Amino acid sequence: MNRREFLTTTGLIGGAAALGMSAPTELFAQTTPKRGGTLIWGHSETPQTLDPHTAGAAASGRVLQNIHCSLITIDKGFNLIPSLAEKFESSPDLLTYTFHLRPGVKFHDGKTMTSADVRYSFDRVRDPKTGAVNFEVFGDVDAIETPDATTVIVKMKRVNAPFLSRIAENGAGAIIPTGSGDTQANNPNGAGPFKFVRREFGHEIELARHEAYWEGPAYLDRVIEREVVEPTVRLTGLQTGELHVINDIPPDRVSETAKNPKLQTLGWFPLNFDFLNMNHAFEPFKDPRVRLAIDLMIDKEQLLQGALWKQGALTGSPSFPTSASYDTTLKARTQDLDKAQALLAAAGYGPGKLNLVFKVTTNYPYHVESAQIMAEWFRAAGVNMKIEQLTWADWLSQCWSNRDFQITMMNFFTLWEPDFLYYSLWNSKGAFNYRNVNDEVIDRLTQQAREVVDPVARAGLYKQVQERIFDQTHDVILWFRNGTMGAQKNVGGLDTVVHPNGSNLNFHKAWLNV
Amino acid sequence: MRRFLTPKSLIGLGIVVIMVTIAVAAPFVIPASFATRMQLAMRLQPPSAAHWFGTDQLGRDLFYRVMLGARTSLTIAGAAVGISVTFGLPLGIISGYFGGWTDIVLMRLVDTLLSFPALLLALTISAMLGPSVPNTIISIGVAFTPFLARIIRGEALRVAQMPYVEAAQATGTSGFAMIIRHVLPNVLPLVIVQGTISLAFAILAEAGLSFLGLGTQPPQSSWGLMIQTSRDFLDVAPWTALVPGAAVALTVLALNMFGDVLRDVLDPRAQR
Amino acid sequence: MSYILRRLLSIALTLVLISMITFGVTNILPGDVAMMVLGTQSNPTALAGLRQTLGLNDPLALQYWRWVVGMLTGHFGNSLMFKVPIGPLLLQKMTASALIVVMSMALALACAIPLGVWSAVHRNRWQDSTAASAALLGISLPDFFWGIVMILIFARTLGWLPSSGFTDPSVNFIAALQHALLPACALGLGLMAHLTRITRSTMTGILNQEFIRVARAKGLDERTVIWRYALANAIGPVMTVAGLQVGYLFGSIIVIESLFNYTGMGWVTYQALLNRDIPLIETSVFVIATVVMLVNFLVDLLYLAVDPRLRQSR
Repeated sequence: MNRREFLTTTGLIGGAAALGMSAPTELFAQTTPKRGGTLIWGHSETPQTLDPHTAGAAASGRVLQNIHCSLITIDKGFNLIPSLAEKFESSPDLLTYTFHLRPGVKFHDGKTMTSADVRYSFDRVRDPKTGAVNFEVFGDVDAIETPDATTVIVKMKRVNAPFLSRIAENGAGAIIPTGSGDTQANNPNGAGPFKFVRREFGHEIELARHEAYWEGPAYLDRVIEREVVEPTVRLTGLQTGELHVINDIPPDRVSETAKNPKLQTLGWFPLNFDFLNMNHAFEPFKDPRVRLAIDLMIDKEQLLQGALWKQGALTGSPSFPTSASYDTTLKARTQDLDKAQALLAAAGYGPGKLNLVFKVTTNYPYHVESAQIMAEWFRAAGVNMKIEQLTWADWLSQCWSNRDFQITMMNFFTLWEPDFLYYSLWNSKGAFNYRNVNDEVIDRLTQQAREVVDPVARAGLYKQVQERIFDQTHDVILWFRNGTMGAQKNVGGLDTVVHPNGSNLNFHKAWLNV
Repeated sequence: MRRFLTPKSLIGLGIVVIMVTIAVAAPFVIPASFATRMQLAMRLQPPSAAHWFGTDQLGRDLFYRVMLGARTSLTIAGAAVGISVTFGLPLGIISGYFGGWTDIVLMRLVDTLLSFPALLLALTISAMLGPSVPNTIISIGVAFTPFLARIIRGEALRVAQMPYVEAAQATGTSGFAMIIRHVLPNVLPLVIVQGTISLAFAILAEAGLSFLGLGTQPPQSSWGLMIQTSRDFLDVAPWTALVPGAAVALTVLALNMFGDVLRDVLDPRAQR
Repeated sequence: MSYILRRLLSIALTLVLISMITFGVTNILPGDVAMMVLGTQSNPTALAGLRQTLGLNDPLALQYWRWVVGMLTGHFGNSLMFKVPIGPLLLQKMTASALIVVMSMALALACAIPLGVWSAVHRNRWQDSTAASAALLGISLPDFFWGIVMILIFARTLGWLPSSGFTDPSVNFIAALQHALLPACALGLGLMAHLTRITRSTMTGILNQEFIRVARAKGLDERTVIWRYALANAIGPVMTVAGLQVGYLFGSIIVIESLFNYTGMGWVTYQALLNRDIPLIETSVFVIATVVMLVNFLVDLLYLAVDPRLRQSR
């Protein structure tokens, strides 16, 4: 199976299932699982807080997936399935949700989970003082009732179709023991397959098997998450055997690593989507012709090749490719510099008249490469562009918080829930609308979709949103990026590690052959 | 003069002259777009007839990049040393010549600044101002100032105590005139020597800052930035690091060689 | 003793100045601390609340006062990104960095002194120019360049040493040394080159002096003259320069520790700078400057103890 086929099949038919990148799946899972051993995982980023409710970054989520569980979770087709709740049901009017807790679930501190803990966790996320990143998930909740130790009833003020999906992720849904909120950041305690042992800040986090895990104990005795941020250093660590597993193989080294007989690689699709952002409050970008011209200047195929060494696939829609709302009819526009120039001239920006500053964060080196490549095309179309590299902190503060930018680039993980994706990013009141997008049509559609119960009708509404984004070129959607992992040959069950959201990792079913 | 014409100084001077010529002339001879022109089909190519120094990860020609990068790197180094001389010279002379409380206060401040490692100071200032070429110049220049002020102060102190200076003071020559007529000419050789050596350090500092992402901004090319970018490709394409590395090494080496000889000839302390 | 007393007073004054400069510089840094803490998924309510809790709305003078009083009473505050008390964090990171700084210093001295002496003894012959050229090359390339080359040779190709990372010496001392060795070498190379040059020039000066000629005239063998008499006199100035270079080393660790993922003081300071973790930046910069100043003070004292002439003149 060559590279293109892989992308096509996983992108359109095969689901978000993790597949072998270099070799067929029989490479994995053929040996019998073995108990014991310590797995060392070279992590590409440094997690900040370990509090599941206040952690915003994907880096924290990747680790915390091993420590925490929610009441419900998702399978690879994004169907909601039981987790800490063995059963859950919603009333036909979607105003009442009832969760029946799995009896005898033990937290890492040995306490048994009860409905009081669930209530405590939900109340903690709802309280604005907590600073939980997903606190708006509970915005339509009227009351949380706990009639007995294993039943939780959530009453809604109004229909909020995405509610269940949103609490299926740890950010909003992680269940922690009553009263443990203040200690979670440094000493996380949950009901997941591994318990927290120690953390050496900025260096490593050690986890140990939680024997009483409800799905059965993990094979590994311990998992050590070691933060090796430098891409080449991380890869060298894998090659020299210092690390068992690494996530995020540098894109230019993927094929070489896949050929290494001492290693196995895992690729999945997608890890995240990337898009080019134009600030709609910046005078030239108020004109849709200018935005379209920018889109037409970019040869996406070349850009993907240049910046990501083809480790991804182009898309015209940001919807998770296997989700019901993905609009397959939208295709990335091909490059047309002449048309771009004509559009710019019509909008009053002839050659040399449009001067742009591209703010790009060094947190994603391939964004810096992308900006450099785009600068060449922009220049060819008579647009002058300067690049300004920003640290992650500065990007957040300048572009995200103060919306002080003209053009920038960003990526998003795990937004498989369409409301989370479209309302947050494109509704004029959305929490992630840092580009000042203000489109009445999108506002109306995204609000309507929140109140529609029928999944097919909802998907239809979101397809209309995508078409509107594309037609108006509110942003230039570029591609879905592949996720990659490399591992020593003796690591078993590698294909079970990646969470369906494409970002989080869970070592519950991984093992080491000695 | 004969002591100056050693092979060591001539080689050093020769290389410095070549590098400066490249820095000045390259942008006139080579169009700026050559340094950013990309050929994705030609990425990470080893040196060849078409690409003398090979290509980088975006298929840009390293020969053009290193040639055009010379101006960025040398400008930053030169301007940074210029700033540290502009501030360090008056500071050192005033402190050394007038002595007393002026000296105590100024040198306490300089000593305090010297407790901050230069690179840490430059990094903090650079992070504060935001990454750009002018800001890199300012941060390196400011970080180097206390060193220069300290050295010049010592020399000014020595000059101020010389019999002829004391005699001139007795005749009522004003402080300012004294500085211009007697102190400055005596301090200048030391400034030239220290300036040359500081230039070498400034080139390395630019590389260090760019390595941490705070120096020159892409797609503009500078030697430091080229080394920074190359580290992800070093084992598959070592030339991407060796080319700018050699440019930095050669220039710094030449400046140090030249500086050594200058010191032997000009530095009053070296003449025993 | 009054000299030492005066020095102690001046240290106190310098500390105040260091704290003011550090606070001044770090507090004009752009970037929103509260924003950084909450990440991409923050909201205005949480932001405003956090700014209030962190005291970011208070006047700068009050914030400075709180910081100084906190440090004097041993309360260094919490790191915003790591969410831990800064005191213990920096203590651990300082130990890590001290290990590579001391190792690199020891390596540099162990190589530089014999090389410098050798060079001075064979002055203006091929041995001298070889050593001088090697030393020049050593200081002519950025230390991170040597670091990259060492990773490729000793970790990647030969596999003798780990390519990156850090082990706590109290957990596994041998592993800690293995992790520290490559960063220490990369750090010490430039220093070694510099010290070789200093040793050579100091030794050259001493070998021309009267007492050496007298010693030789008395028929002492050359080895004794050089290693016992000349070097004993050269070691003072060399050590002084070495002490002054501790400041340089603490600058270089920022780059080297980031390269080797060696999570010491330089790494943590750089991370703090990148993430606008203001409390951590100001305290770590303050700690580094203080350590550099104290080391220089100790070198002064040592020099004073070694050389009695200085004691009298002061």
